[in-house]
Amino acid sequence: MFQVIRQTAGLAKGPLSRSLPAFSTTSHRLAKDPVSRHEAPKIDNEAVLTLPQEAREKSALETYIQVPTKVDLTPISGVPEEHIRTRRVRIYQPPKNAMQSGTSNIHHWEMEFDTRQRWENPLMGWTSTGDPLSNMKIQFASPDDAIEHCEKNGWVWYLDVPKTEKEVKPKSYGINFSWNRRTRVSTK
Amino acid sequence: MLRQPLTRALALGAPRVTPLATRRFADQVPAQPDKVELFIDDKPVYVAPGTTVLQAAAQVGVEIPRFCYHERLAVAGNCRMCLVEVERSPKPVAACAMPVMKGMRVKTNSDLTRKAREGVMEFLLVNHPLDCPICDQGGECDLQDQSMAFGSDKSRFTDIHFSGKRAVEDKDVGPLIKTIMTRCIHCTRCIRFASEVAGVDDFGTTGRGSDMQVGTYVEKMFLSELSGNIIDLCPVGALTSKPYSFAARPWETRRIESVDVLDPLGSNIVVTTRTNEVLRILPRTNEEINEEWLSDKSRFACDGLKRQRLVTPMLKDSRGNLTPVEWEDAMVAAARALRDCPSDKLVVVAGALADAEALVALKDLANRLGAERACTEHYFPLDGAGTDLRSSYLLNTKIANVEQADMVLLIGTNVRFEAPLLNARIRKAFIQRDTDVAFIGPKVDLTYDYMHVGDSASIVKDLASGSSSHPVLKRLEQAKRPVVILGADQLQGAEGAALLAHTQELALRLQDKLADPEWKVLNVLQRTASQVAALDIGYQPGVGKALEAGPKVVYLLGADGGVITRENLPKDAVVIYQGHHGDAGAEIADIVLPGAAYTEKRATYVNAEGRAQQTLPAVTPPGKAREDWKIIRALSEVVGEPLPYDNLDEVRARLAEVSPALVTYGDVQPNNYFAQARALAQSLKQPVSGKLDVQLKTLEDFFMTDPISRASPTMAKCVQAVIKQKSSPY
Amino acid sequence: MLSSLRTGVQGLWRASSRALQTTSTLQHDSLFVHRDTPEDNPNIPFEFTPENTKRMEALLAIYPEGHKRAAMIPLLDLAQRQSGGWLPISAMHKVAEVLNLPRMRVYEVATFYTMFIRRPIGKYHLQVCTTTPCWLRGSDEVLNAIKEATGCEVGGNSPCGKFSLSEVECLGACVNAPMVQVNDDYYEDLTVEDTKEIIQKLKNDEKPVPGPRNGRFASEPLGGLTSLTEEPTGPGFGVQDALKS
Repeated sequence: MFQVIRQTAGLAKGPLSRSLPAFSTTSHRLAKDPVSRHEAPKIDNEAVLTLPQEAREKSALETYIQVPTKVDLTPISGVPEEHIRTRRVRIYQPPKNAMQSGTSNIHHWEMEFDTRQRWENPLMGWTSTGDPLSNMKIQFASPDDAIEHCEKNGWVWYLDVPKTEKEVKPKSYGINFSWNRRTRVSTK
Repeated sequence: MLRQPLTRALALGAPRVTPLATRRFADQVPAQPDKVELFIDDKPVYVAPGTTVLQAAAQVGVEIPRFCYHERLAVAGNCRMCLVEVERSPKPVAACAMPVMKGMRVKTNSDLTRKAREGVMEFLLVNHPLDCPICDQGGECDLQDQSMAFGSDKSRFTDIHFSGKRAVEDKDVGPLIKTIMTRCIHCTRCIRFASEVAGVDDFGTTGRGSDMQVGTYVEKMFLSELSGNIIDLCPVGALTSKPYSFAARPWETRRIESVDVLDPLGSNIVVTTRTNEVLRILPRTNEEINEEWLSDKSRFACDGLKRQRLVTPMLKDSRGNLTPVEWEDAMVAAARALRDCPSDKLVVVAGALADAEALVALKDLANRLGAERACTEHYFPLDGAGTDLRSSYLLNTKIANVEQADMVLLIGTNVRFEAPLLNARIRKAFIQRDTDVAFIGPKVDLTYDYMHVGDSASIVKDLASGSSSHPVLKRLEQAKRPVVILGADQLQGAEGAALLAHTQELALRLQDKLADPEWKVLNVLQRTASQVAALDIGYQPGVGKALEAGPKVVYLLGADGGVITRENLPKDAVVIYQGHHGDAGAEIADIVLPGAAYTEKRATYVNAEGRAQQTLPAVTPPGKAREDWKIIRALSEVVGEPLPYDNLDEVRARLAEVSPALVTYGDVQPNNYFAQARALAQSLKQPVSGKLDVQLKTLEDFFMTDPISRASPTMAKCVQAVIKQKSSPY
Repeated sequence: MLSSLRTGVQGLWRASSRALQTTSTLQHDSLFVHRDTPEDNPNIPFEFTPENTKRMEALLAIYPEGHKRAAMIPLLDLAQRQSGGWLPISAMHKVAEVLNLPRMRVYEVATFYTMFIRRPIGKYHLQVCTTTPCWLRGSDEVLNAIKEATGCEVGGNSPCGKFSLSEVECLGACVNAPMVQVNDDYYEDLTVEDTKEIIQKLKNDEKPVPGPRNGRFASEPLGGLTSLTEEPTGPGFGVQDALKS
């Protein structure tokens, strides 16, 4: 019995399931494509069956709640005055590590505070700092979020937009062998 | 084997899918006849024909693992790590070299792709030593990461248990790059970099088969000013940084994004620190300046930040020795000197590494004391438009646009050593766009072929007037995007004004004929990182006039260029030196005020294009040293003329008052008023007869040009190694 | 039982010996880096002789403008022949200079091909094929005879400096096994006596007659033809009678 289940499961992982994305995208395409719609749209069973009151409640839940836009957390955040007024937050996109090709973990925005003094702790040789905010690196999906967060906390911020936009030039393997290339002296 | 394609064909039903796909995009995307549609993991993507699969995947955010492929180098296609499955292709395809085809369906995460990657990893690791714990690349190693992500947990190559792994002899390629060639996976990135970007064809592969090795064959140093970049390029630990070897692991360091000031381009850097020490400097991608390269001086001179530092204020005692004192005493002494000095006898000299904040503070202080003599070390002709028009002293074409040029004329500037990354751009244009380069000046090696027009300044005059018979004139006139770059060093002498006038005339004459009104031809390449900001703020270029008056007090703001010496000052002159290194300036000083280096302060620097950028503090200044503008602000208080700013924001507000361009960080404003500058220069077009000579001729001249690099032991080793290499027959 | 114990012990010993071993054995008989020696260093000048300069020009003329670097292998061969069967580093530099290429590009080619020899060798380079067919026909004896007669070790030069000995893979003369290549000539169907005689003649700088030593002209059967001995059949052979006109 178990064997049968395992076999069918194994089958599902095979070629059939691999072609599944192709199926799903086509059906998705069908739904979006107005030309291919031949009949009236199907209404979801649940939508038909819900009571009007339930439907109203549901739609109320789906809308966004408006919150006051300007929020100042400084009086209640507990951050010492010195660390609010004198600090400056840099909002930036982390740069790619020059030593590596990969670009994982850099597709977001981050905020960091200005660097303050650090020293080597004589006890263990570890790094010490008197700055409680030195390790506060917060990630955001967009610079707007970061700005909002900083303004809420009363930090002076500035935005550092990296200049990494680059025109994509098609690369070609064949150009290595073009006869009049100026690096033809190279074999690489 | 047969079943897979069959089921797939059945599932898709080619005649049904294709019209659907075209119909779906017909209403959403405007017709793009010049684009090819393909699917990466079923995500549609439109790319220009000829694009590779790997590039197309990058456009939809799919990253294909790679070792040999690098977007700034030629495609090699030899590591095979980028193998992906393409539907209806019998074998996996190397994504980095495969051009896209219409309707191609690429699967970057299928079983076949994963299996192919695992196989490639297995082969790569057959001979790769398992020495990650003692490897400097550990923690930032592409091979390490990719074997974790795509590799297998075991290998089937058991024969190495008996024969051992392949071992390759290490090469000696100079004092900057440490080689552990056994770790090499033969991606040939270093070879391609050396050949294409650096223009020094010293790397190659020798031998064949499993005995193939990457190296120089003969014992030879890698004689390039961009050599450090092959450390970054190496995806494994075969090429690592010698000065940084065994210093730190990437996860124990902090990275602070900053700006380099050791050349006039202001390359973007990442300063890596631990405790209160700068460990290394890496480039940071900025497509408008340094792409992702960095010159060796900017990268390796950082150990100079720990040596020869001025850590305490000093006063000259009765025996003429500088003795450490407290800030208070030094301040009082300096203030007394300033106050007692007649206002026309006070001279302020800004050096190569001065930041805009300190420059504006010092100029304000001098002006408040009634002094007008605030000058920079490098001269620039003041006749005609002088420094009133910004376009006269900047790289107006912009560094990135040099790539688009089809003709570059260099006048008396060895760009290779004065601005290595600008030279890399010119070389890129030379290779990729078949740009021609002409050079007026002494014969130097620019890493590419150029037309040597001569070394006489009169050639510029002939070219400007159109009377020259040299073919380069015709070539310039035919060019659609010409660039003329004049080295600021040539403007030092008496003929400087005339040479600038001729160059302006030549550039403007060419620019007038261009179809593209936005293209700027005239460029002046400054030599230092501070010069542009100083001129923007209103410093007078050159100290000649200021010294004629016989100054009583000379305030040197990091002026270590050697233009001020005790010989050219009156005997009783008081020299106040504010700076971070004990170099030429501190040697002649009576009062020393220790300042902060560029890694220790938030400061504004304006690069040769006129682009303001700021450095960020990575470490705190050593000892009693302080940020420069703060020292000047404090001094102004003691003098009794307090400056009206108390924090950095207020100083920057003052900078914005002087010129808004100084605080629009990261951006560069287009320059204009060329015609006015040309009109003002009409009267200056005197005949010129001098010879153009450049200061930095060969590689050994390049490494030590400023107080930081002069204090750096690594740079000293480089100079020695280059000189030693010169005597070698290779 | 004993044998299994022995293999077990061997396995153990092998495993532990790996831990002590630090580098693998050299897999190739030549080095792929250059070492300066008194015989081979860049300070020894190299120039093509006037005749070879003419040959060089002729070789360069074969290749179109922009593809002159294709002449690298012929030029390296020319240089190797001129400098006595091996390729000094100065010769590589000369070729790079002629072709206007970075030197590294020449080093790459010279190290890739095994027929470019980058160490000084004797006047006569004896290459003994020891691949299976030759080995079955007694190439080991031939090799030993050469070692004895010349005093060479494999991969080395003879004490007199006249001979160099290499063991090579199949040279494509399997029907005439065993065989030895001396410079450009093949000596085939060798016996130990033949080998000794060849070496003796070479010692006297006489040129032995190249080719098979057992009386064959080429690779035909030794005892005359065993098949295809009859007259070739004429046209229409084997065709049905009905089809014959």
